[in-house]
Amino acid sequence: MATALASAGILLAGWQSGAHIAETGTATTTSLSSSATSGGSATSGSTGSGGAGSGTTGSDSTGSSGTGSSGSPASGSTTSATYDGASVQTRFGTVQVQVTIQDGKITEVTPLQLTDAERKSAQISSRAAPVLRSEVLQAQSANVQTIGGATVTSDAYLSSLQAALDAANF
Amino acid sequence: MQPISSGQQLRARTFRSMGTVVSLTVASSTYAQTAVDELESAVDVVEGVFAHLDLTFSLYRSGSEASRLARGEMTLAYASETMQELYAEASEWRLATDGAFTAERPDGTLDLSGIVKAHAAREAALSLSALGLRNWCLNAGGDVLVSGSPGAAAHEPWLAGIVDPLDRQALLGAFPLQSMSALATSGSAERGEHIWAVGGTRPEFAQVSVAAGDIVTADVLATAIVAGGTRTLDQAVEKWNADVLAVRRDGTLLATPGFRNAA
Repeated sequence: MATALASAGILLAGWQSGAHIAETGTATTTSLSSSATSGGSATSGSTGSGGAGSGTTGSDSTGSSGTGSSGSPASGSTTSATYDGASVQTRFGTVQVQVTIQDGKITEVTPLQLTDAERKSAQISSRAAPVLRSEVLQAQSANVQTIGGATVTSDAYLSSLQAALDAANF
Repeated sequence: MQPISSGQQLRARTFRSMGTVVSLTVASSTYAQTAVDELESAVDVVEGVFAHLDLTFSLYRSGSEASRLARGEMTLAYASETMQELYAEASEWRLATDGAFTAERPDGTLDLSGIVKAHAAREAALSLSALGLRNWCLNAGGDVLVSGSPGAAAHEPWLAGIVDPLDRQALLGAFPLQSMSALATSGSAERGEHIWAVGGTRPEFAQVSVAAGDIVTADVLATAIVAGGTRTLDQAVEKWNADVLAVRRDGTLLATPGFRNAA
C-alpha cells in the first residue's frame, strides 16, 4: 500500500500514520497528489491522507501520473527499489519526489523537484534559525569539560572559565 | 570538577603558544602516577607541534618565514613545503567561501594565522593518536578538538560550553562533541575586530561558533561567517556538514538544530 502525497513532508506524515508498503515483489509507481494502491496487500490504512486526487498504481504500471520505476522487481523476501513520482502541479508549484522502498518499507524520500517555497521548508531543518537563549542547550561551567570561545589571549586566559576548569583538573 | 563517572579522572595541562593558552585534558582510569606521566609526555609532544609551527608562521617574530614572506624578502616559490601547503589550503578555502575567508589582510599581507592554530591542533591530534591516547580534549584559545569520551561510558560525549560574548564569565550554551569532534569560535570580543567584514562594513555577528568534523573546517567557517554574515552562514550549512551558533551584535541568536535544545 503506497500512499503518495503532495509533498515529502506530508508523505512522511502519511507514512508515520501507518500506511506501509507491503512486500509485493512488483514495481510500484508512486504518483503524487494521489492515493495509490499497489498490487500487494495493504498492511494498514488503505487511503492516504492529504492526497489531492486519486492516482493509480499497480505492478509495472506507469499510472496516469506515475513515471515508471527504476527498481528491480524482486521475487525474494527482500525488495529494494527506487521510484520517481510524477511531476505534479500543486498550488505552490511543481513538485516531484523519489521514494526508496526496501523490504516493504519506505526508507528514503528525496525531493526531485521542489517549488521555492518547498525547497525552503526542506532545507529549514538544517538551516540556522533565530532562537531564544532558552532554546539552546544550556549548561553551567561546572557541567562542561571545556569552554569554546573567540580566541582567548594569554593575558585574558587567567580570568577565563577555561582557566578555572584547567586548574580544577590539574 | 564534577564527577564524570566512577574510575575516570580528567587531568589537564596548559602551555602558551601562538599568543594564547593551549589546554590538553586527558581522561584516564589508570593509576594516578602513570596517568600523570602519560599526560605530561603527551602535552610535551603537543607543545612541540605548536611551537614548531609558531616559529614558521608567526608574524610577531621578525625572523620567521612568514615575516620574511610578508616583507617580500622571499617568495612562496622558495618557501617551505608546510608554508606552501597551508597557503594552498587557505586559497582553496577562499574560493570555497566566495572570499569570506581569506589569508590576506586588507593591505595585501599574507597572513595565515587564521588557519595555523587549527592546523596545529589537527597535527597535534595525529600525534596524540600516535601516542595511543584515545580520550582527550584539546583547547587552543577557545577552539576545541576532542577524541573519545571524558567518562567511563564510551558514549558520553565531551561537552563544550560556549562563552557568552556579552558576559565572558557566563555560558551561552553548550555543544556535545560526538561525530562533530571540533568546535571553533570566532568573534571580535577578545582581540578587537580582527576580522574584517566583506565590504568593510561592521560584522553582523559578535560571535560565531561552528561545530564540524574537523578543526580546520570549523575554524575557517567560523571566521568566514563573521566576515560574510547571514549569507555566508546559509551557504556554509548548505555546503558543509556543520552546526552553527551565531550571536548577533544585539545579543540575539541564530542556531542550527545541533545547537538547539533537544526538548
